[in-house]
Amino acid sequence: MGKKEEIFERLRQAVILGETEDCAKAAQDAIDAGIDPMKVITEGLSKAMEVVGDKFESKEYFLPEMLLSAEAMYAGLELLLPLLKTEETETKEKIILGVVEGDIHDIGKNIVKAMLTAAGYEVIDLGVDVPTSEFVEKASEEEVGVIAMSTMMTPTLVSIKDIEEQLAKKGLKRKVKTLIGGGTVTEQWRSRVGSDAYGKDAMEAVDKVKMLVEEIKAAVKLMEKKRKNRKQASE
Amino acid sequence: MTMTLREEGERPGQIKIVFFPYGKREWFKKGISIFDAAKALGIDLSSLCGGKGTCGKCKVKIEGGMEALNALTEQELKHITEEEMKTGYRLACQAIPTTTVSVYVPERSRIGKQRLQTAGLEVPVKKLNPFVRKYFVKLPKPTLHDIRADEDRLLDALNAEYRLPTDLELDFEADWAVTAVKWKNKIIDIEPANTSDRCFGFAVDVGTTKLAGFLVNLNTGKVVAVAARMNPQIPLGEEVMSRISHQMLEGQKGIEELQTAAVSGVNEMIEECCEKANVKTDEIYELCFVGNTAMQLCLLGIYGRYVAFAPYPPVRRRGVNIRANNIGLVSHPRANAYHAPVIGGFVGADNVAVILATRMLDSDEICLALDIGTNTEIDLGNKDLVMVDSCASGPAFEGMQIKHGMRAATGAIERVSIDPETLETNYRTIEDKPPVGLCGSALVDVPAELLKAGLIDLTGKFVSEMAKETDRLRRGPKGIWEFVLVPQPKTATDTDIIVTQGDIRELQKAKAAMRTGAGLLMKRLGEERNETVTENDISKMFMAGAFGNYIDPENARTIGMYPELPLERVEFVGNIAGTGSRMCLISKEEREYAEKIATTVKYHELAADKDFQKEYMDALYFPHKNLDKYPDTVNLLRRLGHIK
Repeated sequence: MGKKEEIFERLRQAVILGETEDCAKAAQDAIDAGIDPMKVITEGLSKAMEVVGDKFESKEYFLPEMLLSAEAMYAGLELLLPLLKTEETETKEKIILGVVEGDIHDIGKNIVKAMLTAAGYEVIDLGVDVPTSEFVEKASEEEVGVIAMSTMMTPTLVSIKDIEEQLAKKGLKRKVKTLIGGGTVTEQWRSRVGSDAYGKDAMEAVDKVKMLVEEIKAAVKLMEKKRKNRKQASE
Repeated sequence: MTMTLREEGERPGQIKIVFFPYGKREWFKKGISIFDAAKALGIDLSSLCGGKGTCGKCKVKIEGGMEALNALTEQELKHITEEEMKTGYRLACQAIPTTTVSVYVPERSRIGKQRLQTAGLEVPVKKLNPFVRKYFVKLPKPTLHDIRADEDRLLDALNAEYRLPTDLELDFEADWAVTAVKWKNKIIDIEPANTSDRCFGFAVDVGTTKLAGFLVNLNTGKVVAVAARMNPQIPLGEEVMSRISHQMLEGQKGIEELQTAAVSGVNEMIEECCEKANVKTDEIYELCFVGNTAMQLCLLGIYGRYVAFAPYPPVRRRGVNIRANNIGLVSHPRANAYHAPVIGGFVGADNVAVILATRMLDSDEICLALDIGTNTEIDLGNKDLVMVDSCASGPAFEGMQIKHGMRAATGAIERVSIDPETLETNYRTIEDKPPVGLCGSALVDVPAELLKAGLIDLTGKFVSEMAKETDRLRRGPKGIWEFVLVPQPKTATDTDIIVTQGDIRELQKAKAAMRTGAGLLMKRLGEERNETVTENDISKMFMAGAFGNYIDPENARTIGMYPELPLERVEFVGNIAGTGSRMCLISKEEREYAEKIATTVKYHELAADKDFQKEYMDALYFPHKNLDKYPDTVNLLRRLGHIK
């Protein structure tokens, strides 16, 4: 095992076992050894969080283990993120995340945040009981493609519906894709209110975000092509 | 405060059938009859013909998805009345669903019975002083020398004989009669002859899942008959949040459906009690209700949307008096219905009743009360200050979201133990019938016994090495670990009764919510009192609620459902909310005390507490992340060799 690989392995073990100090130390060692920080994130932290996600799905890991791993990952990220090149930071896709109006339960949202961060997204966390208008304003103000929102309670499901209606009214539905999840959210509710995707847990949420980001990219490409065609036609 | 109606989307070639009031649900191959599905789940449906459609005994009510069934068969037309057709009745053996349906099994089609506990500790009232009083008087006939109006004649006589004030309001269509019925400062009826020994009231505890009713002789304060029912609102939503959603989605219609359902359940109990005690329903002059805040809204027909949104304000906090027959309650036409006050959006009149009946607001020593139901309310404090918070607990401990969970009905396993040597199980079922599933009390035993047998570790994970010791521990679908509690030949169903790693996780969440509720109250009460409140300061713990009465206190403590107190400080008080309801019914002083409780008890919003996440994460461990808080339990596990 090379020195590089050895540090990656230490990083991964620290995240999987939720050892915050070990993770920070391994990240610092990687930096001192001059390893590309982006590589440290993807090969070390992200890979480890994938393992953690799998363990959670098979019920071997539970919420405390998950949050400890996330904490360890953040300790590593804190050291690594400032060292990323500008273009690496700028090309990161931004995701807006929050618990909808009327609900204040955020453990699930925090886990989704950790998994999205681990997968390389920049997460703009709006917190809990986020007013409907704030989701919509934030989406139009930032260059954001995906809004991810959650609720644990049944009555507050209507807040998701309100957000979808607002987005449609503002003509944002073409630019913005929505992902929903949380204890009471179902695929049925998604199709009823017209959200773009539903994630049954944090792991699926990451897959769905990837899918939505691809869809947005494809749509943008198509639009550009059309515009080009129109331009050519008018010339 | 969590959800329960988790839908898992679609499965090709399969349909999901949900059985109420059991709360059992499962996926089945398309084409199965409701009768066969019930049998597979071990639900006892009446049947003489064994499912041929000839006996007509297996009538069930389809609650959702009537259009998702085959048409009525010829056999059914012989047994189902037109009225039943309209309300969605089918013969279970003839009905074949094509998509997901909810099926309600009415009482008459069940062989076994739900166990519904009603009894609660008897607590003496400060004073027997009901609002309703009867006064028998003989009135002088009018003469040329005495042409007072009937009204004055009556009031003067009441004043002369009973010292009642002469400015009482009269609320009756005058008739020459002699027993005056007074409610507060109103004469609500004048009855012929002397009926003063026939004066009754009805006290109700409106639970999310269960209703309990008590017919009380208002002259003596004694209970003369008791009844219990599953709350008929269950098919409209299994817990409070779903019921409020029903109001929100269906509007006025939904509000009325919920109200009608609650009232019909109460009326059934009234009629049952009256028959038992040989009382006429119009001899009931007052009703008293205690229910959680959502139940209060559903009963009174009030829109509850805002209770369900942070910061969860209640709509009406004070006690409410309405005329009982305005909402269709069967009783005297001018009977009053009183709903006791509520404390907050998630802490209702039932909890006011608990504080009232435990007398914890009069206590010098600090007491803890856990009223375990679909939601658990936790109270902590003494005469200086009582604080309260609430959490969701029921769904898991009522068997929801648990693979083989069920409510406490015939055939439910209610006790489990695991021999730490042989890893074999022992169990007891309700009415000693072959096991169907696990009810709440067993769901407390299971993790405790697994822990003591070394089959799960302190994080709740199955110890995979133990699979070498016993075949009962095995990998199920998707490689997820599970433990066989009862192998198939011995079960009433067509599968082994197991507990999965996923089940353990759900139980961890439920027990951690309760422990967090108590833990954070200890912290916050300490801040209010400027001292630390530890386990040692809690002189008594009241375990209330029907479920609370059946659980093993030691096992509950072993898994860390409540702070580690010596077991002798734990007192089981049963349905003490029902006790409080009766006390409010028969005593003006108690009712005033209830109003005082509702304004002085301090509500703490658990989910908004800054330490919630940390406390909750720590409480997810067995018994707790901080083992110092559980010295006795740790000692036990150490002796068994599971902690070094």
